[in-house]
Amino acid sequence: MTEKIENEKLLAMYKSMVTIRLFETRVSELFAAGKLPGFIHLYIGEEAVATGVCAHLKGQDYITSTHRGHGHLIAKGGDLNMMMAELYGKRTGYCKGKGGSMHIADVDLGILGANGIVGGGPPIAAGAAFGIKYQGGDGVVACFFGDAASNQGTFHEGLNLASVWKLPVIFVCENNLYGISVSQARHQNISDVADRANAYDIPGVVVDGNDVMAVYEAAGEAIKRARAGKGPSLIECKTYRWRGHFEGDPTPYRPKSEVDAWMKKDPIPRFEVALKEMGVVTDEGIAAIKKEISEKVEAAVKFSEESAWPALQEILDDVYTGGSVAV
Amino acid sequence: MVTVGIIPNPASGKDIRRLIAHGSVFDNQEKVNIVRRVMLGLQSAGVDNVIIMPDYFGIGRRALDGVQLKMAADILEMSIEANQDDSTRAAGMMREMGVGAVVTLGGDGTNRAVAKEIGDVPMMPISTGTNNVFPQMIEGTLAGMAAGIVAGKLLPLNETAQRQLRLDVMRDGELIDIALVDVVVSDDIFIGSRAIWDMTKVRELVLTRASPSNIGLSSVGGSLFCPRLDRQHGVYIQIGDGDSLVELTAPIAPGLVETMHVTKFRLLEIGMSVPVHVKPSILALDGEREVKVAAGDDIHVALTNHGPYVIDTHRTMDAAARHGLLRRMKTPEISSTRCLLCTLGVCQDPPLQCLIEEN
Repeated sequence: MTEKIENEKLLAMYKSMVTIRLFETRVSELFAAGKLPGFIHLYIGEEAVATGVCAHLKGQDYITSTHRGHGHLIAKGGDLNMMMAELYGKRTGYCKGKGGSMHIADVDLGILGANGIVGGGPPIAAGAAFGIKYQGGDGVVACFFGDAASNQGTFHEGLNLASVWKLPVIFVCENNLYGISVSQARHQNISDVADRANAYDIPGVVVDGNDVMAVYEAAGEAIKRARAGKGPSLIECKTYRWRGHFEGDPTPYRPKSEVDAWMKKDPIPRFEVALKEMGVVTDEGIAAIKKEISEKVEAAVKFSEESAWPALQEILDDVYTGGSVAV
Repeated sequence: MVTVGIIPNPASGKDIRRLIAHGSVFDNQEKVNIVRRVMLGLQSAGVDNVIIMPDYFGIGRRALDGVQLKMAADILEMSIEANQDDSTRAAGMMREMGVGAVVTLGGDGTNRAVAKEIGDVPMMPISTGTNNVFPQMIEGTLAGMAAGIVAGKLLPLNETAQRQLRLDVMRDGELIDIALVDVVVSDDIFIGSRAIWDMTKVRELVLTRASPSNIGLSSVGGSLFCPRLDRQHGVYIQIGDGDSLVELTAPIAPGLVETMHVTKFRLLEIGMSVPVHVKPSILALDGEREVKVAAGDDIHVALTNHGPYVIDTHRTMDAAARHGLLRRMKTPEISSTRCLLCTLGVCQDPPLQCLIEEN
């Protein structure tokens, strides 16, 4: 059950969720306005998952993210200016403007990268967790992935090695019911990805992914277990992405009634109600938080707008192979 | 026409208790298998029609795909919200359709949801959950046969089923929720992942059952009122630290045996109610955190006998055998309703119920 948790921590979680929502909403507008090159996959609706998990992570802990990674990065402390600048393709971005949304990483913050490959995270997470164990640290790795990623061989390989070697990793499935445009019922013959834990003799649990405290509790127990050397766990968070698979996806594959029903389960107002009941925050406090975060997002937009583009001569900088190009 | 409903919960047996304890993992494929066996049992008992609640996994649909039946069987037409309200609504719809019994697949939480709307329809609860005090660990075929016999009214209800006690949660005198096994007052702030396992947060318990052989918090009462409570009483218990009356050890979840200090306890008669003292708090009903109690709330928990009828598989099958429902006599000298052992003189010391039968 919920261990005693300071109001300050609850507020930090709330701010994380609101930051993700406002950042993503602004990104959606900027993409529609033609400001952002490259593909954009938004995390709106799933804020409780990244927040509930990352609230337990310390500086030396790692995360692996996905193509829908902005939420994970923000929850792990990613810099809004550098994230936004990367989406703009500007030189001040995380990848100097040459990677885009799906390649943002910040090793100093333990963010081992967003990942354009579906199911790319589990082997990286198992590897990082092996490193922690090998070096005798008490760190942990949180590996985020989706329902369809759990059909990939990489998922099974990652869980297999992590379970055999009892690695300190928690596998967090964000089951948002769709793999791109294919509903879960059409891409796998089970409804609970957590059932797959059984095959590796590790705990598998299902939680309400739109309830940040449900995610927080389950992640807390799984992380405690991982740090104690008891091995990995699989937590399946039932959630929903409000937007299409990518920005511009008209989503003809899902009924409006389904979207409406899930929007009623919006994790942010649910958490607001709980915090207000507990006296942690007032309506005025909420308005002030939203204003402050909105200003930070606008500052990130301004920072990005004012930043320079990378020069054409830099196109082959920072790649693994040496080379040159005539420009 | 005899119709039986089936309510399988696709979410039972998957909560956080697999992380914090060693809760059994119950995958949905096995629930599909159980539903198939239940249907074959129902069919053998002469049931004409089966109606199954739909769910997000499609337990009923998959079960129907894999079995050949002579009786009619279909999925109930209803929308799915993928939460416990589905089970509650399905129970209400089945009751209105006039089903003779409802078979449930789940744990205590599932049966609580069904009991809200089941009325007087007898329930046959099969255990597929985590804390299983209310449902029975029973083979699906037998559960189906017993439910079919009860639904077809082949035996008197008092020989097959028993009405259960119920805990009514009242806010300002209004019924707001129910529990079938236990109401636990937890010094908690969030409903969160719902399950309850941290005894340092448990402050008060109200139980309809108290048996040391139960799993879950109702076992706490079992250690106070050994060996087990009759069906006419409940128990109220306060847990604390410091000056306790009793220190006891109880299996509060699968694989989780905890020691706790009881500071107060008393037996409850049907009709009695106790106030919730610890506020603000969260009430866990049958093992799941459900109700938030604010500091100023007036909350009482009342022990009532308004619980559902629950079929006792062993009693039903014994009675079915005694009444000759399971055999067809080919020798006219042998009564089809009299115990064969008595007739043939094998049994020298016939049990009481055989003598009653003969009379």
